[in-house]
Amino acid sequence: MTVSAIEFSRLGPPKLHLYAMKCDKCGELSPWWERNHCYHCGNDSLTEFELKGTGELTNYTVVYYPPREFLGQEPYVVGHIQMDEGVNMPAPVMGVDPDAVEVGTRVDATLRRMKLGHEGDIYYSYKFVVDDE
Amino acid sequence: MAVLTSYGAYVPQYRAPLGEIQKFYGRPGRPRSRGLATPGLDEDTLTMAYEAARRALKGERGLGAVIVATQAPPFGLRKVSQTLANALRLDDGAVHMDLGANATGLLDAFRIAQTLDVGPTLVVATDHLVAYRDRVADVLSAGAAAAFVIDPRKKAEGIAELGPQARAAEEVFDVWMLGREQEPRFRLEVLFDAYAKATSAATAALEKATERPTGKYTAICPSQPHPQVLRGLAKLGAQPKQLENTQFIGDIGNVGAASSGLALCLGLDASRKGSTLLALAYGGGEAVAQEITVTKKPKSAGTREMIDAGEPIGVGTYYRWTEGRQQQPH
Amino acid sequence: MKVGVLGIGKTPHKIQHDKSLKDLAVEAGRKAMNDAGVAPDDIQMLYVGNVGSVGFNYENSTGLMVAHHLGVVPAGAVRVEAACGTGAWALHLGCVAIASGLYDTVMVLGVEKMNDLATVEGTSIIAQAADSKEEYFSGLTFPSGTALTARKYMQTYGVTEEDLAHTSVKNHYYGARNPSAHLRFECTVDEVMKSAKVADPLKLYEVCPMTDAASALVLCRPEILEAQPKRPQVYITATSMGSGTWYQASDTLDDAYNLFARPVERAYEMAGITADDVDVAEIYNSFAIQEPLGIEGLGFAERGEGWKGAADGSTWLDGKVAINPSGGLLCKGHPLGATGSTQAVDVVEQLRGTAPEGMLRDDAEIGISACRGGPGSVGAIHIYQRMEG
Repeated sequence: MTVSAIEFSRLGPPKLHLYAMKCDKCGELSPWWERNHCYHCGNDSLTEFELKGTGELTNYTVVYYPPREFLGQEPYVVGHIQMDEGVNMPAPVMGVDPDAVEVGTRVDATLRRMKLGHEGDIYYSYKFVVDDE
Repeated sequence: MAVLTSYGAYVPQYRAPLGEIQKFYGRPGRPRSRGLATPGLDEDTLTMAYEAARRALKGERGLGAVIVATQAPPFGLRKVSQTLANALRLDDGAVHMDLGANATGLLDAFRIAQTLDVGPTLVVATDHLVAYRDRVADVLSAGAAAAFVIDPRKKAEGIAELGPQARAAEEVFDVWMLGREQEPRFRLEVLFDAYAKATSAATAALEKATERPTGKYTAICPSQPHPQVLRGLAKLGAQPKQLENTQFIGDIGNVGAASSGLALCLGLDASRKGSTLLALAYGGGEAVAQEITVTKKPKSAGTREMIDAGEPIGVGTYYRWTEGRQQQPH
Repeated sequence: MKVGVLGIGKTPHKIQHDKSLKDLAVEAGRKAMNDAGVAPDDIQMLYVGNVGSVGFNYENSTGLMVAHHLGVVPAGAVRVEAACGTGAWALHLGCVAIASGLYDTVMVLGVEKMNDLATVEGTSIIAQAADSKEEYFSGLTFPSGTALTARKYMQTYGVTEEDLAHTSVKNHYYGARNPSAHLRFECTVDEVMKSAKVADPLKLYEVCPMTDAASALVLCRPEILEAQPKRPQVYITATSMGSGTWYQASDTLDDAYNLFARPVERAYEMAGITADDVDVAEIYNSFAIQEPLGIEGLGFAERGEGWKGAADGSTWLDGKVAINPSGGLLCKGHPLGATGSTQAVDVVEQLRGTAPEGMLRDDAEIGISACRGGPGSVGAIHIYQRMEG
């Protein structure tokens, strides 16, 4: 649930890019939300690190009772994806039969509508599809 | 001489049951499309444009311009091309242009790209034409996107050369919307007449401009291969084999501004060095025809495979996904 | 540490459309004060645990509201929030208030009214107790995030869905015997396995319902309770709190274990006991998998074996340690802010010998409540002991 179009202007644009945060001290990657704190070494400065978009599904579940912004898309697969660059991130995997997905499936990122805020601001961000190459 | 350096297409995987929709509303006759390509709830013309663009660009970012042709942008008063350029991480200096257009938009964008001097241009035609209730059977509402990279400066690296264009236009009310209404209005009898007149006139004009007879193209890529269009083309010497690879409406429906794009992608997929393609688009009384010469056999974008790989959805799902849902906050 | 539990009270735990947030809080608060034999004037500080009143009920500042309606004004009052660990956090602050020597008698109250909104709205509000703008933006919810933990557990230890189903069977057995529980039906392993999928591998009988409830405790300096030997002599002997990751993506099985293992080590030391001394435990289990994880974290079983007690009887009422004889959150529901305080009330009832027959552990002397919150963010341990006067 967004608060306002102002929040969208702050949060929306970064979501158009697929990136992780790289610690300026230990060099490890953390998911994009760790802007203030390296989960690995505790350092407080990190830099955006662009991701290619390819990775492997390391864990997943199938959601039958979705939150509002996913209503109508259930059942959908959501899981943890180990990106090739070495960071673990949560994301949905779309357009795939839940029975056809398993740990180890390779996936590729693509842009999708995530939600419509109540001021009519559309958030776009990344979901994944099975990599068929 | 502008050169096409790469292209890509995107067709959503879901197919709505046009036959069942027709039956439900008591509309007689065989459905004119086996299924309607329906974008998922989390897709729209911008996300489809992204899908087609990333297939065309394959990571390339040094573009000078992005032109998006669509009749169904997610927002009014905001450019699709701007957000698309941002998501593709294109260079800051790139020019963003939105063309609100019907199926002629793609060829209009080609014409603009041929004259720009800003470096490679990404042209994307993306659309999701939506009509409700039984009108879906006439409008054949479906969604798809096609993307092309055009570079006026490249000669050697390209796969095709964009040749001359010819146009013919008449003032008619065939398919239109009043302002930013949700669904199109149409008069089919006007449409069928206009198809015949405009496409024949534009194709004939192209013959004059290129000195190439219509019957001599390897393939004809029409946005709408309606019988009226085909009759006009036949009069100019077109043969059925020129159309055998480029038709898709019977499989997935009418995809609006993306129609000319998909037809062209199908033509390119089946082409080889030396093939000549006649791109033909019609919309709102105007037809545009363009000669395209393939200079290097392109790697297939898999357009036919995407069209064939459809997953059926039910009537309820189709309406739940298309009827106003995307405008509700969630 | 020794904090006296002077009085306890709770409302039924279920959907209660006729009662508001205020009604529930007042009911529980009054029951606790009556049980304690105190008047509102005697309460010197009020800690009200509530998580989602802004979202569920369009109101805020629950502590101030309850203070007014319970009549404890002019004593200080504050709202406490720490995701699903809120009730336990309110309890911790109450213990600290007493142990500091600054206060003689305080009240701890947890309250949540979740059912005024539709379930799908409620789910979105619950998701705010995680990073709903980042991680949960990606389609994860609490059930699906926990499902990922369940799958990791199953893969790491070679445990099947049937193995885990026994936990629900045990909880439902006692839930059926708990008059104040939300869900009061027994079930078999087969019925658990056939229940509707919520987030694979979690099934309907492995997730808790959304519940309206309130529960409260009146705490006092030990001397005050000792001076009333006719009252049941139940004391809180340890309170130990910790935190963990705010993100499901960073929550490993080690983290899930440590969320309880770290604070419980301090708690056992504070109380001067070991895991073997515990007779009864209320362990947070809004999702069934959290019970085996909690059993392991508290030291009642080896890692990867916490699920076995539900299958072999050792965590049933008369087993080595009775785990969730109240039916757990699976049956009582999870009224977010009240869960931690309800766990406390239920343990105290066991030690007093006043828990309903059929779920009352014989002669329980030492109990523990373990509450958690967020994607792996709060660990809260309390130890209780019945002491002969």
